[in-house]
Amino acid sequence: MQQIKRTKPKTYRSPDASIFYSVGIVLLAFVVLTFIVSLFATPYSPDATDAASKLLAPCPAHPFGTDNFGRDVLSRVMSASKYTIFISVAGVAISLILGTVSGIPAGYFGGLADRGIMLLGNSIMCFPGILLALVAVAVFGASVTNVIWALGLVFAPTFARVCRVGTMEIKELDYITHARVMGVKPLRIMTLHIFPNLVPQLLPATVIGLANMTLFESGMSYLGLGVQPPDASFGKMLSDAQAYIRVAPWLIVFPAMMLVFYILGLYFISEGLRVTLSKGGKR
Amino acid sequence: MTRHIHIVKVHLLTLAFPTGKDPDPKPVLDDVDFGIRDGEILGLIGNSGSGKTMTSLAIAGLLPEAASITSGSIKFAGKDLLEMDPKERRAMLGRDIGMIFQEPSTALDPLMTCGKQLEEVLTAHKDLKMTPEERHKAIMDMLETVGFDNAEELFSRYPHQLSGGQRQRVLIAGAALLKPRLLICDEPTSSLDTVTTVSILALLKDLCHKLHITILFISHDLSAVRGFCDRVMVMKDGRIIDRDTASDILTNPRNSYTAELLTNARLDTRILGFEPATVDYSRSPVLTAKGITAGYKRSLFERVKKNGGDEAEDKNVLHDVSLEVFPNEILGLIGGSGSGKTTLIRSLLGLLPHEGTVNIRSSSTGAIFQDPVSCLNPAHTVKWHLTEALRASGKKTAGTLKERRERTYARITGVLEECGLGEEYLLRRPNELSGGQRQRVAIAMCLIQEPSLIIADEPFSSLDASSSAELLKIMTDINRERNTAFLLITHNIHIVRKIAPRVIVMSNGRICEEGTTAEVLGNPRSEAAAALLEAERLIHGN
Repeated sequence: MQQIKRTKPKTYRSPDASIFYSVGIVLLAFVVLTFIVSLFATPYSPDATDAASKLLAPCPAHPFGTDNFGRDVLSRVMSASKYTIFISVAGVAISLILGTVSGIPAGYFGGLADRGIMLLGNSIMCFPGILLALVAVAVFGASVTNVIWALGLVFAPTFARVCRVGTMEIKELDYITHARVMGVKPLRIMTLHIFPNLVPQLLPATVIGLANMTLFESGMSYLGLGVQPPDASFGKMLSDAQAYIRVAPWLIVFPAMMLVFYILGLYFISEGLRVTLSKGGKR
Repeated sequence: MTRHIHIVKVHLLTLAFPTGKDPDPKPVLDDVDFGIRDGEILGLIGNSGSGKTMTSLAIAGLLPEAASITSGSIKFAGKDLLEMDPKERRAMLGRDIGMIFQEPSTALDPLMTCGKQLEEVLTAHKDLKMTPEERHKAIMDMLETVGFDNAEELFSRYPHQLSGGQRQRVLIAGAALLKPRLLICDEPTSSLDTVTTVSILALLKDLCHKLHITILFISHDLSAVRGFCDRVMVMKDGRIIDRDTASDILTNPRNSYTAELLTNARLDTRILGFEPATVDYSRSPVLTAKGITAGYKRSLFERVKKNGGDEAEDKNVLHDVSLEVFPNEILGLIGGSGSGKTTLIRSLLGLLPHEGTVNIRSSSTGAIFQDPVSCLNPAHTVKWHLTEALRASGKKTAGTLKERRERTYARITGVLEECGLGEEYLLRRPNELSGGQRQRVAIAMCLIQEPSLIIADEPFSSLDASSSAELLKIMTDINRERNTAFLLITHNIHIVRKIAPRVIVMSNGRICEEGTTAEVLGNPRSEAAAALLEAERLIHGN
């Protein structure tokens, strides 16, 4: 019998999910490790000013340089990562909870409940998200807690929509009909029968949500309505550094680099999830 | 062209799905070697997973990316397909090799009219000499050939306005339009009812003669190929284990596996041992339904439409249906597609608002659905499914948590065993089970609730003959041992004849005939019953 070796015709294949994961994790690791270390110690106090060492270029004593008050940029970047991660995670958690709690019943019951919930969600989505968040913070005062609540509310309708559409699709399947015939109560059907099947759709949405929320938070801090001084945040550091962009570019480069690493890492991971889940989704 | 010349020659084809972890796995096709003669209809029969679809995909060049052909060759009209340039091969698809798939509902684009889709077939093959008028004419002729009297009307219809059988005809028209030399039909009739199946088979046979198209017909139902195929090959575990002329293989199988398939397809009661319980009709019925009228509300779109006329009323699918199911009884409910069977059971289960009364004398009603893919929740294990069913039945037991857990476990394994599945299946998820196994878990979920009535909606239609036979055996055993009544909805008269003592025939949302199976099937009084019987006779032979 002849043995034939055949090369496959060259067709475009989306890269392996593991490539996305590894790149994403490496990028995220920078930010997350900085965050973990910052919880225990920073080289200098992030708020300590030193008139003798203003606007120092990166050197062994200050690897990321110092700013116009002589504060160590590395310490400030470390402390800023804390707020960025905390705000994005807490904000996404709030919108995820609000979104699932409203979206699944809307999709499951339909009718008036659906109309009401979606009307509310759509009216929030009518306005540019950042504008709404800015108004909320302007009214209730600029603080980390208010920023988290504002962002959480603005993002909730996105998750509600994902849940609603997924639920509408799943509730027509035989296993849900069967559960209803067996006499399982609606609340239990929604939490135990439907929700686990929504996870593949919610997971990428959550990761993208984290990245988008970080961008929003940086934008708000840049405008001065997010994290308040003297606490550091990437957005605030970028806006402060603007005046010194020619004399001290390191003030821009390092916070921006961390922001890019965090957001890009999240996007890579969500892309990996998309590839994995769409492959696993095949029956 | 002379006959007996092989149009396709598959020589010692071996195909596997190697992965990074397992570079040398068990082959899916193992030294498959056969030829298709010019102008014949060749049947390829086997259970799910036997490799028949992979064989057809290999010939068509549509193998999944992960598949790798390790040895062998496929020659089409003398040319080696595997050595060919992918571009050249793609051009052959449609022009030389046509294909028809199992599921007509998803094979047509819902946003394109049928005529437009058929035109696509012609334009995709860049027959530039053809004028639009000629194209239109060719399509009209083909639509008439495949049996549409109203070709002009059909041209501008959308797929959702057609029935399953009509869609399959449109697909066949699309495949035949380019007059391919080989037409691969992958289970084209398994999602259609018996009456439609017969007409589609007749059409394919007609095309084979009229247009001189060679057909490779793939099916899991051995008896369905009777009178249709010229030759039949039987596949098992990626090998062709038997081949013969159709008449020989069906009357006098030489291979033991073929004989087993045949027994399953014919549901040979003596060999398989179905023994339904005897029914006492003097007892009060377990389910009484009176005057059920149900339907679907008009959509918003239909309501605003001004020229409603007679159709402006909400469309009723069921009209005044009354039926009774007695304890221990297996009641067969038969009827073609669209006769209202599924609407009826949805009303009986309380899933659809309806007029009339339904009285069920049972703490719980079990239900088994048609589609084994969606009948179990993909996110949970078999054990979770059974525990959930037990919990939903609301039968509380006393004792400590540990005792209760042990008792639950004992009941779950007991019921699972009754359905022919061992303890090792407890922690599996639905995607690790075959269609037949999933249906058995669905039955186990019903059983654990100890219902006195189980409503089964076409549980066999997507299973192969062997799985169907096993499922039937389980159902009759349950019926006998647990005194559970079944309301069995099916379009397969053959099954009803074997196990149901009483049968109801539905047509156009009404019950048109009711009586003992022997009476109704022996001497049908209604047109619908006669049509179903005639179709069954043509397929299975008597």
